[in-house]
Amino acid sequence: MMPSLGFFRMMLASGSRYLRTVLTLAEFELRKLRHDSSEIFIRGVQPALWLLVFGVTFASIRAIQTGPFTYLQYLTPGVLAQSVMFVAVFYGIMLVWERDLGLLNKLLSTPAPRSAIVLGKALSAGVRSIFQAIMIFALALIMNVSLTLNPLELMGAIIVIVLGGMCFSCISMCLAPIFKTREKMMGIGQAITMPLFFTSSAIYPIELMPDWLKAIAAVNPLSYVIEAMRTFLIPGYYEYYQPPLLLDIGATLLATAIFATIAALLFRRILE
Amino acid sequence: MKAVEAVNLTKMYSDFKAVDAISFDVDEGQIFGLLGPNGAGKTTTIRVTLTLIKPTSGSITVFGIDCVKSAAAVRQISGYVPQEVSIDTDLTGYENLLMYSKLYYTPKDQRESRIGDALEYMDLADRQHDLAKTYSGGMMRRLEIAQALMNRPKMLFLDEPSIGLDPTAKTAVWEHVKRLRDEFGTTILLTTHDMHEADVLCDEIAIMNRGKIVADGSPEELKASVGGDVISLVAHNGDCSQVLQEHGKLLSSRPEEGAYELVVARGEKAIPSILESLESHKIHVESVSLKKSTLDDVFLKYAGARIQEGGTWKDARLLRRAVRKRG
Ligand SMILES: Nc1ncnc2c1ncn2[C@@H]1O[C@H](COP(=O)(O)OP(=O)(O)O)[C@@H](O)[C@H]1O
Ligand SMILES: [Mg+2]
Repeated sequence: MMPSLGFFRMMLASGSRYLRTVLTLAEFELRKLRHDSSEIFIRGVQPALWLLVFGVTFASIRAIQTGPFTYLQYLTPGVLAQSVMFVAVFYGIMLVWERDLGLLNKLLSTPAPRSAIVLGKALSAGVRSIFQAIMIFALALIMNVSLTLNPLELMGAIIVIVLGGMCFSCISMCLAPIFKTREKMMGIGQAITMPLFFTSSAIYPIELMPDWLKAIAAVNPLSYVIEAMRTFLIPGYYEYYQPPLLLDIGATLLATAIFATIAALLFRRILE
Repeated sequence: MKAVEAVNLTKMYSDFKAVDAISFDVDEGQIFGLLGPNGAGKTTTIRVTLTLIKPTSGSITVFGIDCVKSAAAVRQISGYVPQEVSIDTDLTGYENLLMYSKLYYTPKDQRESRIGDALEYMDLADRQHDLAKTYSGGMMRRLEIAQALMNRPKMLFLDEPSIGLDPTAKTAVWEHVKRLRDEFGTTILLTTHDMHEADVLCDEIAIMNRGKIVADGSPEELKASVGGDVISLVAHNGDCSQVLQEHGKLLSSRPEEGAYELVVARGEKAIPSILESLESHKIHVESVSLKKSTLDDVFLKYAGARIQEGGTWKDARLLRRAVRKRG
Protein backbone atom coordinates (compact mmCIF):
# COMPACT_ATOMS: atom_id res chain seq x y z
CA MET A 1 0.00 0.00 0.00
CA MET A 2 1.25 3.50 -0.85
CA PRO A 3 1.68 5.83 2.10
CA SER A 4 -0.94 8.59 1.69
CA LEU A 5 -0.23 12.22 0.95
CA GLY A 6 -1.45 13.02 4.45
CA PHE A 7 1.28 10.86 5.88
CA PHE A 8 3.98 12.77 3.97
CA ARG A 9 2.45 16.06 4.98
CA MET A 10 2.50 14.97 8.61
CA MET A 11 6.13 13.91 8.35
CA LEU A 12 7.00 17.21 6.76
CA ALA A 13 5.17 19.18 9.45
CA SER A 14 6.84 17.33 12.31
CA GLY A 15 10.20 17.65 10.57
CA SER A 16 9.77 21.38 10.32
CA ARG A 17 8.72 21.61 13.98
CA TYR A 18 11.79 19.59 14.92
CA LEU A 19 14.07 21.93 13.02
CA ARG A 20 12.34 25.00 14.44
CA THR A 21 12.96 23.78 18.00
CA VAL A 22 16.65 23.26 17.29
CA LEU A 23 17.02 26.66 15.63
CA THR A 24 15.03 28.46 18.36
CA LEU A 25 17.37 27.21 21.07
CA ALA A 26 20.41 28.33 19.07
CA GLU A 27 18.79 31.71 18.32
CA PHE A 28 18.36 32.50 22.00
CA GLU A 29 21.91 31.41 22.75
CA LEU A 30 23.00 34.05 20.23
CA ARG A 31 20.79 36.63 21.89
CA LYS A 32 22.39 35.84 25.25
CA LEU A 33 25.81 36.34 23.69
CA ARG A 34 24.69 39.67 22.33
CA HIS A 35 23.57 40.82 25.79
CA ASP A 36 26.81 39.76 27.41
CA SER A 37 29.89 38.60 25.56
CA SER A 38 32.34 38.98 28.44
CA GLU A 39 32.47 35.21 28.88
CA ILE A 40 34.04 34.83 25.43
CA PHE A 41 36.92 37.00 26.56
CA ILE A 42 37.34 35.34 29.95
CA ARG A 43 37.39 31.94 28.27
CA GLY A 44 39.85 33.29 25.74
CA VAL A 45 42.57 33.86 28.32
CA GLN A 46 43.69 30.24 28.59
CA PRO A 47 44.01 29.54 24.85
CA ALA A 48 45.74 32.89 24.46
CA LEU A 49 48.34 31.75 26.99
CA TRP A 50 48.84 28.52 25.08
CA LEU A 51 49.64 30.50 21.97
CA LEU A 52 51.60 33.32 23.55
CA VAL A 53 53.65 31.37 26.08
CA PHE A 54 53.74 27.70 25.09
CA GLY A 55 53.57 28.35 21.35
CA VAL A 56 56.17 31.07 21.21
CA THR A 57 58.58 29.16 23.47
CA PHE A 58 58.33 25.88 21.58
CA ALA A 59 58.58 27.68 18.27
CA SER A 60 61.84 29.29 19.32
CA ILE A 61 63.45 26.11 20.68
CA ARG A 62 62.26 24.14 17.64
CA ALA A 63 61.61 21.04 19.73
CA ILE A 64 58.77 19.72 17.62
CA GLN A 65 59.14 18.97 13.94
CA THR A 66 56.14 20.20 11.94
CA GLY A 67 57.39 19.86 8.38
CA PRO A 68 57.50 23.02 6.29
CA PHE A 69 55.08 24.84 8.63
CA THR A 70 56.00 26.99 11.61
CA TYR A 71 55.14 25.60 15.01
CA LEU A 72 52.67 28.43 15.66
CA GLN A 73 50.90 27.66 12.40
CA TYR A 74 50.69 24.07 13.50
CA LEU A 75 49.57 24.89 17.05
CA THR A 76 46.88 27.49 16.30
CA PRO A 77 44.24 25.05 14.95
CA GLY A 78 45.01 22.78 17.91
CA VAL A 79 44.43 25.55 20.43
CA LEU A 80 41.34 26.63 18.51
CA ALA A 81 39.89 23.15 18.71
CA GLN A 82 40.84 22.90 22.37
CA SER A 83 38.98 26.09 23.21
CA VAL A 84 35.95 24.83 21.30
CA MET A 85 36.09 21.66 23.37
CA PHE A 86 36.30 23.64 26.63
CA VAL A 87 33.30 25.77 25.67
CA ALA A 88 31.30 22.73 24.64
CA VAL A 89 32.08 20.56 27.66
CA PHE A 90 30.55 23.30 29.78
CA TYR A 91 27.11 22.53 28.30
CA GLY A 92 26.70 19.35 30.31
CA ILE A 93 27.44 21.29 33.49
CA MET A 94 24.96 23.92 32.38
CA LEU A 95 22.33 21.23 31.86
CA VAL A 96 22.66 20.19 35.51
CA TRP A 97 22.57 23.83 36.60
CA GLU A 98 19.41 24.41 34.56
CA ARG A 99 17.89 21.27 36.04
CA ASP A 100 18.59 22.55 39.56
CA LEU A 101 17.07 25.92 38.73
CA GLY A 102 13.91 24.58 37.08
CA LEU A 103 14.71 25.86 33.57
CA LEU A 104 15.14 22.37 32.23
CA ASN A 105 11.84 21.16 33.67
CA LYS A 106 10.19 24.09 31.98
CA LEU A 107 11.89 23.37 28.66
CA LEU A 108 10.87 19.72 28.83
CA SER A 109 7.26 20.69 29.52
CA THR A 110 6.94 21.99 25.95
CA PRO A 111 5.82 19.63 23.18
CA ALA A 112 9.32 19.71 21.67
CA PRO A 113 10.86 16.23 21.26
CA ARG A 114 13.72 15.46 23.67
CA SER A 115 16.19 14.83 20.89
CA ALA A 116 15.40 18.22 19.32
CA ILE A 117 16.24 19.81 22.66
CA VAL A 118 19.53 17.92 22.82
CA LEU A 119 20.41 18.97 19.27
CA GLY A 120 19.33 22.54 20.01
CA LYS A 121 21.66 22.68 22.99
CA ALA A 122 24.44 21.15 20.89
CA LEU A 123 23.92 23.69 18.14
CA SER A 124 24.01 26.44 20.78
CA ALA A 125 27.41 25.13 21.83
CA GLY A 126 28.46 25.18 18.18
CA VAL A 127 27.32 28.76 17.76
CA ARG A 128 29.12 29.92 20.87
CA SER A 129 32.22 28.05 19.72
CA ILE A 130 32.34 30.14 16.54
CA PHE A 131 32.73 33.33 18.54
CA GLN A 132 35.33 31.77 20.80
CA ALA A 133 37.26 30.62 17.74
CA ILE A 134 37.05 34.02 16.04
CA MET A 135 38.70 35.58 19.05
CA ILE A 136 41.63 33.14 18.97
CA PHE A 137 41.90 33.37 15.20
CA ALA A 138 42.18 37.16 15.50
CA LEU A 139 44.86 36.80 18.16
CA ALA A 140 46.84 34.46 15.92
CA LEU A 141 46.61 36.94 13.04
CA ILE A 142 47.86 39.70 15.35
CA MET A 143 50.78 37.42 16.29
CA ASN A 144 51.51 37.27 12.58
CA VAL A 145 50.77 33.56 12.25
CA SER A 146 50.19 32.82 8.59
CA LEU A 147 46.65 31.39 8.25
CA THR A 148 44.25 31.23 5.37
CA LEU A 149 41.96 34.17 4.62
CA ASN A 150 40.22 32.42 1.76
CA PRO A 151 36.46 32.74 2.49
CA LEU A 152 35.69 29.22 1.30
CA GLU A 153 38.33 27.67 3.52
CA LEU A 154 37.16 29.83 6.42
CA MET A 155 33.61 28.60 5.81
CA GLY A 156 34.94 25.05 5.95
CA ALA A 157 36.70 25.79 9.22
CA ILE A 158 33.50 27.28 10.69
CA ILE A 159 31.56 24.16 9.78
CA VAL A 160 34.19 22.03 11.50
CA ILE A 161 34.08 24.30 14.55
CA VAL A 162 30.27 23.98 14.81
CA LEU A 163 30.52 20.22 14.39
CA GLY A 164 33.26 20.04 17.00
CA GLY A 165 31.22 22.13 19.44
CA MET A 166 28.22 19.88 18.86
CA CYS A 167 30.26 16.73 19.31
CA PHE A 168 31.88 17.71 22.61
CA SER A 169 28.70 19.20 24.04
CA CYS A 170 26.92 15.93 23.26
CA ILE A 171 29.63 13.98 25.08
CA SER A 172 29.15 16.28 28.04
CA MET A 173 25.35 15.94 27.83
CA CYS A 174 25.74 12.15 27.88
CA LEU A 175 27.59 12.43 31.17
CA ALA A 176 25.17 14.88 32.84
CA PRO A 177 22.31 12.37 33.34
CA ILE A 178 24.82 9.88 34.77
CA PHE A 179 26.61 12.11 37.25
CA LYS A 180 23.69 14.47 37.94
CA THR A 181 25.33 16.94 40.36
CA ARG A 182 27.14 20.11 39.45
CA GLU A 183 30.20 19.29 41.55
CA LYS A 184 30.66 15.88 39.94
CA MET A 185 30.16 17.34 36.47
CA MET A 186 32.79 20.03 37.09
CA GLY A 187 35.22 17.32 38.13
CA ILE A 188 34.32 15.13 35.18
CA GLY A 189 34.68 18.10 32.85
CA GLN A 190 38.27 18.57 33.94
CA ALA A 191 38.92 14.86 34.05
CA ILE A 192 38.03 14.40 30.40
CA THR A 193 39.17 17.62 28.71
CA MET A 194 42.82 17.43 29.71
CA PRO A 195 43.35 13.79 28.67
CA LEU A 196 41.47 14.42 25.41
CA PHE A 197 43.73 17.39 24.75
CA PHE A 198 47.03 15.62 25.47
CA THR A 199 46.09 12.45 23.60
CA SER A 200 45.21 14.43 20.49
CA SER A 201 47.42 15.93 17.84
CA ALA A 202 46.85 19.43 19.28
CA ILE A 203 50.44 20.15 20.34
CA TYR A 204 52.47 17.44 18.60
CA PRO A 205 52.01 15.43 15.41
CA ILE A 206 50.63 11.93 15.78
CA GLU A 207 53.72 10.50 14.01
CA LEU A 208 55.88 11.58 16.96
CA MET A 209 53.72 9.74 19.50
CA PRO A 210 54.61 6.35 21.03
CA ASP A 211 52.42 3.54 19.71
CA TRP A 212 50.09 3.29 22.71
CA LEU A 213 49.34 7.01 22.44
CA LYS A 214 48.80 6.70 18.70
CA ALA A 215 46.10 4.12 19.40
CA ILE A 216 44.33 6.49 21.78
CA ALA A 217 44.70 9.44 19.42
CA ALA A 218 43.07 7.38 16.68
CA VAL A 219 39.81 7.12 18.64
CA ASN A 220 39.98 10.63 20.08
CA PRO A 221 37.41 12.80 18.24
CA LEU A 222 39.49 15.88 19.02
CA SER A 223 42.25 14.63 16.71
CA TYR A 224 39.86 14.51 13.78
CA VAL A 225 38.50 17.98 14.50
CA ILE A 226 42.04 19.34 14.73
CA GLU A 227 43.25 17.69 11.52
CA ALA A 228 40.22 19.03 9.62
CA MET A 229 40.89 22.50 11.02
CA ARG A 230 44.55 22.35 9.98
CA THR A 231 43.53 21.30 6.51
CA PHE A 232 41.29 24.33 6.19
CA LEU A 233 43.35 26.91 8.06
CA ILE A 234 47.03 26.30 7.20
CA PRO A 235 47.90 27.38 3.65
CA GLY A 236 49.60 24.52 1.81
CA TYR A 237 48.74 21.89 4.46
CA TYR A 238 46.49 19.90 2.17
CA GLU A 239 48.96 19.92 -0.71
CA TYR A 240 51.83 18.81 1.54
CA TYR A 241 50.19 16.08 3.65
CA GLN A 242 47.19 15.08 1.52
CA PRO A 243 45.21 14.57 4.77
CA PRO A 244 42.00 12.50 4.57
CA LEU A 245 39.67 15.49 4.99
CA LEU A 246 36.49 13.55 4.31
CA LEU A 247 37.48 10.92 6.88
CA ASP A 248 38.18 13.62 9.45
CA ILE A 249 34.85 15.33 8.91
CA GLY A 250 33.05 12.00 8.62
CA ALA A 251 34.54 10.78 11.92
CA THR A 252 33.47 14.00 13.67
CA LEU A 253 29.97 13.69 12.24
CA LEU A 254 29.73 10.06 13.27
CA ALA A 255 30.93 10.83 16.81
CA THR A 256 28.40 13.67 17.05
CA ALA A 257 25.58 11.42 15.86
CA ILE A 258 26.50 8.65 18.30
CA PHE A 259 26.83 10.91 21.32
CA ALA A 260 23.71 12.93 20.42
CA THR A 261 21.72 9.69 20.28
CA ILE A 262 23.05 8.50 23.63
CA ALA A 263 22.41 11.93 25.19
CA ALA A 264 18.83 11.95 23.90
CA LEU A 265 18.22 8.44 25.23
CA LEU A 266 19.64 9.27 28.66
CA PHE A 267 18.07 12.72 28.84
CA ARG A 268 14.96 11.75 30.81
CA ARG A 269 17.14 10.34 33.58
CA ILE A 270 18.47 13.75 34.49
CA LEU A 271 15.09 14.67 36.03
CA GLU A 272 14.73 11.47 38.04
CA MET B 1 -15.07 15.57 31.20
CA LYS B 2 -12.71 16.05 34.11
CA ALA B 3 -9.73 18.35 33.57
CA VAL B 4 -7.45 16.01 35.48
CA GLU B 5 -8.22 12.52 36.63
CA ALA B 6 -5.75 10.48 38.66
CA VAL B 7 -6.47 6.93 39.74
CA ASN B 8 -4.17 5.11 42.16
CA LEU B 9 -1.23 7.13 40.96
CA THR B 10 2.09 5.96 42.39
CA LYS B 11 5.64 7.18 41.84
CA MET B 12 8.64 5.45 43.35
CA TYR B 13 12.18 6.80 43.43
CA SER B 14 14.18 3.55 43.61
CA ASP B 15 12.48 2.03 46.66
CA PHE B 16 11.06 5.24 48.13
CA LYS B 17 7.35 5.94 47.55
CA ALA B 18 7.16 9.68 46.84
CA VAL B 19 3.52 9.44 45.70
CA ASP B 20 1.48 6.62 47.18
CA ALA B 21 -1.60 5.48 45.26
CA ILE B 22 -3.40 8.82 45.18
CA SER B 23 -6.68 9.42 43.38
CA PHE B 24 -8.19 12.83 42.72
CA ASP B 25 -9.97 14.73 40.03
CA VAL B 26 -10.10 18.34 39.00
CA ASP B 27 -13.22 19.89 37.44
CA GLU B 28 -12.92 22.12 34.42
CA GLY B 29 -12.56 25.79 35.36
CA GLN B 30 -11.56 25.01 38.93
CA ILE B 31 -8.59 26.12 40.96
CA PHE B 32 -7.49 22.91 42.60
CA GLY B 33 -4.86 22.92 45.32
CA LEU B 34 -2.52 20.22 46.57
CA LEU B 35 -1.72 21.34 50.09
CA GLY B 36 0.99 19.74 52.16
CA PRO B 37 4.36 20.15 53.86
CA ASN B 38 7.74 19.79 52.17
CA GLY B 39 8.35 16.32 50.87
CA ALA B 40 4.65 15.47 50.72
CA GLY B 41 4.97 14.54 47.03
CA LYS B 42 3.26 17.59 45.50
CA THR B 43 5.97 18.45 42.99
CA THR B 44 6.32 14.81 42.02
CA THR B 45 2.58 14.65 41.33
CA ILE B 46 2.77 17.72 39.09
CA ARG B 47 5.79 16.34 37.22
CA VAL B 48 4.04 13.07 36.54
CA THR B 49 0.93 14.89 35.33
CA LEU B 50 3.05 17.07 33.06
CA THR B 51 4.68 13.93 31.62
CA LEU B 52 8.14 15.02 32.83
CA ILE B 53 8.51 11.72 34.66
CA LYS B 54 6.64 8.47 34.23
CA PRO B 55 4.37 7.12 36.97
CA THR B 56 5.37 3.78 38.47
CA SER B 57 1.75 2.64 38.42
CA GLY B 58 -1.79 3.99 38.23
CA SER B 59 -3.31 6.19 35.57
CA ILE B 60 -3.49 9.90 34.96
CA THR B 61 -5.25 11.90 32.25
CA VAL B 62 -5.49 15.60 31.38
CA PHE B 63 -8.71 16.51 29.54
CA GLY B 64 -9.09 12.84 28.74
CA ILE B 65 -5.59 12.55 27.25
CA ASP B 66 -3.41 9.85 28.74
CA CYS B 67 -0.23 11.33 30.23
CA VAL B 68 1.87 8.25 29.51
CA LYS B 69 0.63 7.33 26.04
CA SER B 70 0.18 10.83 24.59
CA ALA B 71 2.76 12.89 26.44
CA ALA B 72 3.31 15.49 23.70
CA ALA B 73 -0.44 16.15 23.38
CA VAL B 74 -0.70 16.77 27.12
CA ARG B 75 2.25 19.14 27.00
CA GLN B 76 0.73 21.10 24.11
CA ILE B 77 -2.36 22.06 26.15
CA SER B 78 -0.55 22.56 29.46
CA GLY B 79 1.22 25.53 30.96
CA TYR B 80 3.75 25.08 33.74
CA VAL B 81 5.38 27.28 36.33
CA PRO B 82 7.93 25.18 38.23
CA GLN B 83 8.62 25.67 41.92
CA GLU B 84 12.07 27.02 41.17
CA VAL B 85 13.08 29.49 38.46
CA SER B 86 11.95 28.91 34.87
CA ILE B 87 12.99 32.12 33.16
CA ASP B 88 16.41 32.70 31.68
CA THR B 89 17.77 35.68 33.57
CA ASP B 90 20.32 36.41 30.82
CA LEU B 91 17.48 37.25 28.43
CA THR B 92 14.98 40.10 28.57
CA GLY B 93 11.40 39.59 29.71
CA TYR B 94 10.21 39.91 26.13
CA GLU B 95 12.76 37.40 24.85
CA ASN B 96 11.76 34.88 27.51
CA LEU B 97 8.21 35.02 26.18
CA LEU B 98 9.28 35.00 22.53
CA MET B 99 11.37 31.89 23.08
CA TYR B 100 8.44 29.96 24.51
CA SER B 101 5.97 31.18 21.95
CA LYS B 102 8.35 29.73 19.37
CA LEU B 103 8.82 26.49 21.29
CA TYR B 104 5.03 26.08 21.34
CA TYR B 105 4.94 26.70 17.56
CA THR B 106 2.60 29.69 17.92
CA PRO B 107 1.77 30.95 14.42
CA LYS B 108 4.00 33.89 13.56
CA ASP B 109 1.15 36.38 13.11
CA GLN B 110 -0.17 35.66 16.62
CA ARG B 111 3.11 35.79 18.52
CA GLU B 112 3.40 39.52 19.04
CA SER B 113 -0.19 39.94 20.17
CA ARG B 114 0.05 37.06 22.62
CA ILE B 115 3.30 38.33 24.07
CA GLY B 116 1.89 41.86 24.28
CA ASP B 117 -1.27 40.62 25.99
CA ALA B 118 0.64 38.51 28.49
CA LEU B 119 3.01 41.36 29.36
CA GLU B 120 0.11 43.74 29.76
CA TYR B 121 -1.82 41.23 31.78
CA MET B 122 1.02 40.57 34.19
CA ASP B 123 1.92 44.27 34.49
CA LEU B 124 5.35 43.84 32.96
CA ALA B 125 5.00 45.82 29.73
CA ASP B 126 7.14 48.75 30.89
CA ARG B 127 10.08 46.52 31.84
CA GLN B 128 9.86 44.02 28.97
CA HIS B 129 13.17 44.99 27.39
CA ASP B 130 15.21 44.81 30.58
CA LEU B 131 17.21 41.69 31.36
CA ALA B 132 15.20 39.44 33.66
CA LYS B 133 18.01 39.37 36.21
CA THR B 134 17.18 42.98 37.08
CA TYR B 135 13.60 42.01 38.06
CA SER B 136 12.32 41.67 41.62
CA GLY B 137 11.25 38.24 42.87
CA GLY B 138 7.59 39.11 42.34
CA MET B 139 8.21 40.34 38.79
CA MET B 140 10.13 37.17 37.97
CA ARG B 141 7.22 35.08 39.18
CA ARG B 142 4.78 37.12 37.09
CA LEU B 143 7.04 36.71 34.06
CA GLU B 144 7.07 32.98 34.69
CA ILE B 145 3.28 32.92 34.73
CA ALA B 146 3.21 35.03 31.54
CA GLN B 147 5.62 32.52 30.00
CA ALA B 148 3.30 29.66 30.91
CA LEU B 149 0.47 31.42 29.05
CA MET B 150 2.24 31.51 25.68
CA ASN B 151 0.38 28.47 24.35
CA ARG B 152 -2.97 29.65 25.83
CA PRO B 153 -3.10 26.52 28.00
CA LYS B 154 -6.40 24.88 28.92
CA MET B 155 -4.64 23.49 31.96
CA LEU B 156 -2.17 25.45 34.05
CA PHE B 157 0.15 23.90 36.64
CA LEU B 158 1.59 26.21 39.29
CA ASP B 159 4.10 24.68 41.68
CA GLU B 160 4.21 26.80 44.84
CA PRO B 161 3.27 29.98 42.95
CA SER B 162 4.06 32.43 45.72
CA ILE B 163 6.96 30.67 47.41
CA GLY B 164 9.58 33.06 48.71
CA LEU B 165 7.65 36.21 47.80
CA ASP B 166 6.94 39.08 50.16
CA PRO B 167 3.28 39.67 51.17
CA THR B 168 2.56 42.39 48.58
CA ALA B 169 4.03 40.40 45.70
CA LYS B 170 2.15 37.35 46.95
CA THR B 171 -1.20 39.15 46.87
CA ALA B 172 -0.47 40.41 43.36
CA VAL B 173 0.28 36.88 42.14
CA TRP B 174 -2.96 35.62 43.73
CA GLU B 175 -4.99 38.30 41.99
CA HIS B 176 -3.48 37.37 38.63
CA VAL B 177 -4.10 33.67 39.15
CA LYS B 178 -7.74 34.27 40.07
CA ARG B 179 -8.27 36.47 37.02
CA LEU B 180 -6.92 33.74 34.76
CA ARG B 181 -9.61 31.40 35.99
CA ASP B 182 -12.37 34.02 36.00
CA GLU B 183 -11.66 35.62 32.62
CA PHE B 184 -10.38 32.73 30.54
CA GLY B 185 -11.82 29.75 32.37
CA THR B 186 -8.33 28.26 32.67
CA THR B 187 -8.28 25.21 34.88
CA ILE B 188 -5.51 25.52 37.44
CA LEU B 189 -3.77 22.90 39.54
CA LEU B 190 -1.48 24.45 42.11
CA THR B 191 0.57 23.15 44.99
CA THR B 192 1.26 25.00 48.17
CA HIS B 193 2.43 24.52 51.73
CA ASP B 194 0.71 27.79 52.67
CA MET B 195 -2.69 27.30 54.32
CA HIS B 196 -3.70 30.84 53.71
CA GLU B 197 -2.86 30.62 50.04
CA ALA B 198 -4.91 27.45 49.65
CA ASP B 199 -7.77 29.09 51.51
CA VAL B 200 -7.96 32.27 49.42
CA LEU B 201 -7.23 30.73 46.01
CA CYS B 202 -8.65 27.25 45.80
CA ASP B 203 -12.14 26.00 45.04
CA GLU B 204 -11.09 22.50 46.01
CA ILE B 205 -8.21 21.23 48.10
CA ALA B 206 -6.54 17.87 48.53
CA ILE B 207 -4.38 17.65 51.61
CA MET B 208 -1.25 15.62 51.02
CA ASN B 209 1.11 14.13 53.52
CA ARG B 210 3.89 11.57 52.99
CA GLY B 211 2.73 10.76 49.48
CA LYS B 212 -0.91 10.22 50.41
CA ILE B 213 -4.02 12.35 50.08
CA VAL B 214 -5.41 12.45 53.61
CA ALA B 215 -8.48 14.63 53.02
CA ASP B 216 -10.16 16.60 50.26
CA GLY B 217 -13.01 18.99 49.70
CA SER B 218 -13.71 22.71 49.45
CA PRO B 219 -11.98 24.88 52.06
CA GLU B 220 -15.34 25.40 53.78
CA GLU B 221 -16.14 21.68 53.87
CA LEU B 222 -12.73 20.87 55.23
CA LYS B 223 -12.96 23.49 57.92
CA ALA B 224 -16.48 22.43 58.83
CA SER B 225 -15.18 18.88 59.17
CA VAL B 226 -12.95 19.90 62.06
CA GLY B 227 -15.87 21.58 63.83
CA GLY B 228 -16.12 24.96 62.17
CA ASP B 229 -15.88 28.50 63.57
CA VAL B 230 -16.24 29.34 67.24
CA ILE B 231 -18.38 32.32 68.30
CA SER B 232 -17.93 33.61 71.84
CA LEU B 233 -20.40 36.08 73.25
CA VAL B 234 -21.15 37.84 76.49
CA ALA B 235 -24.70 38.73 77.61
CA HIS B 236 -25.96 39.17 81.17
CA ASN B 237 -29.72 39.86 81.06
CA GLY B 238 -31.07 36.34 80.64
CA ASP B 239 -30.03 32.81 79.65
CA CYS B 240 -29.05 32.60 75.96
CA SER B 241 -28.56 28.82 75.80
CA GLN B 242 -31.97 28.04 74.30
CA VAL B 243 -31.69 30.58 71.54
CA LEU B 244 -28.08 29.76 70.72
CA GLN B 245 -28.78 26.07 70.33
CA GLU B 246 -31.01 26.86 67.38
CA HIS B 247 -27.99 28.28 65.52
CA GLY B 248 -25.29 25.74 66.16
CA LYS B 249 -23.60 23.47 68.64
CA LEU B 250 -23.20 24.97 72.08
CA LEU B 251 -19.65 24.39 73.23
CA SER B 252 -19.90 25.96 76.67
CA SER B 253 -22.51 27.95 78.50
CA ARG B 254 -22.05 29.76 81.83
CA PRO B 255 -25.14 31.93 82.35
CA GLU B 256 -23.93 33.05 85.81
CA GLU B 257 -20.90 34.67 84.12
CA GLY B 258 -22.88 35.57 81.00
CA ALA B 259 -20.33 33.76 78.75
CA TYR B 260 -21.21 31.39 75.91
CA GLU B 261 -19.31 29.57 73.15
CA LEU B 262 -21.02 28.29 70.03
CA VAL B 263 -19.69 26.31 67.03
CA VAL B 264 -21.08 27.18 63.59
CA ALA B 265 -20.11 26.48 59.97
CA ARG B 266 -19.65 30.06 58.75
CA GLY B 267 -19.15 32.44 61.62
CA GLU B 268 -19.48 35.74 59.81
CA LYS B 269 -22.82 34.70 58.28
CA ALA B 270 -24.19 33.32 61.56
CA ILE B 271 -23.47 36.33 63.78
CA PRO B 272 -26.13 38.74 62.40
CA SER B 273 -28.94 36.21 62.68
CA ILE B 274 -27.85 35.14 66.16
CA LEU B 275 -27.89 38.77 67.28
CA GLU B 276 -31.32 39.24 65.73
CA SER B 277 -32.78 36.20 67.53
CA LEU B 278 -31.33 37.30 70.88
CA GLU B 279 -32.65 40.81 70.31
CA SER B 280 -36.16 39.40 69.70
CA HIS B 281 -35.88 37.59 73.08
CA LYS B 282 -34.96 40.94 74.62
CA ILE B 283 -31.44 39.78 75.42
CA HIS B 284 -28.80 42.42 75.03
CA VAL B 285 -25.40 41.21 73.79
CA GLU B 286 -22.45 43.08 75.27
CA SER B 287 -19.66 41.66 73.17
CA VAL B 288 -19.13 39.03 70.49
CA SER B 289 -15.98 37.56 69.00
CA LEU B 290 -15.27 35.04 66.25
CA LYS B 291 -12.45 32.53 65.95
CA LYS B 292 -12.45 31.05 62.48
CA SER B 293 -11.17 27.55 62.04
CA THR B 294 -8.19 27.35 59.74
CA LEU B 295 -6.84 24.78 57.36
CA ASP B 296 -4.08 24.43 59.89
CA ASP B 297 -6.64 22.81 62.21
CA VAL B 298 -7.69 20.62 59.31
CA PHE B 299 -4.15 19.55 58.64
CA LEU B 300 -3.58 18.84 62.30
CA LYS B 301 -6.64 16.63 62.37
CA TYR B 302 -5.89 14.59 59.23
CA ALA B 303 -2.11 14.44 59.21
CA GLY B 304 -1.51 14.59 62.92
CA ALA B 305 1.06 17.35 62.54
CA ARG B 306 1.33 21.02 61.74
CA ILE B 307 2.79 22.19 58.45
CA GLN B 308 6.22 23.57 59.11
CA GLU B 309 7.69 26.31 57.04
CA GLY B 310 10.66 24.20 56.16
CA GLY B 311 14.00 24.71 54.49
CA THR B 312 13.01 24.88 50.86
CA TRP B 313 10.88 27.91 51.51
CA LYS B 314 13.91 29.94 52.50
CA ASP B 315 15.98 28.22 49.82
CA ALA B 316 13.59 29.50 47.17
CA ARG B 317 14.07 33.07 48.27
CA LEU B 318 17.85 32.66 48.37
CA LEU B 319 17.81 31.01 44.96
CA ARG B 320 16.00 33.96 43.44
CA ARG B 321 18.47 36.36 45.01
CA ALA B 322 21.38 34.30 43.73
CA VAL B 323 19.98 34.30 40.21
CA ARG B 324 19.50 38.04 40.35
CA LYS B 325 23.07 38.67 41.39
CA ARG B 326 24.61 36.27 38.92
CA GLY B 327 26.19 38.44 36.26
N1 LIG C 1 14.65 12.89 41.94
C1 LIG C 1 14.39 12.36 43.15
N2 LIG C 1 15.04 11.26 43.57
C2 LIG C 1 14.78 10.73 44.78
N3 LIG C 1 13.89 11.22 45.65
C3 LIG C 1 13.20 12.32 45.29
C4 LIG C 1 13.41 12.95 44.03
N4 LIG C 1 12.59 14.02 43.93
C5 LIG C 1 11.90 14.05 45.10
N5 LIG C 1 12.26 13.04 45.91
C6 LIG C 1 11.71 12.75 47.24
O1 LIG C 1 10.33 12.54 47.09
C7 LIG C 1 9.63 13.15 48.15
C8 LIG C 1 8.57 14.08 47.59
O2 LIG C 1 9.19 15.18 46.99
P1 LIG C 1 8.39 16.34 46.31
O3 LIG C 1 7.43 15.78 45.35
O4 LIG C 1 9.38 17.32 45.78
O5 LIG C 1 7.60 16.96 47.53
P2 LIG C 1 6.94 18.40 47.72
O6 LIG C 1 6.89 19.06 46.39
O7 LIG C 1 5.60 18.10 48.28
O8 LIG C 1 7.78 19.15 48.68
C9 LIG C 1 10.64 13.86 49.02
O9 LIG C 1 10.90 13.05 50.14
C10 LIG C 1 11.85 13.95 48.15
O10 LIG C 1 13.03 13.89 48.90
MG1 LIG D 1 7.60 20.88 45.85
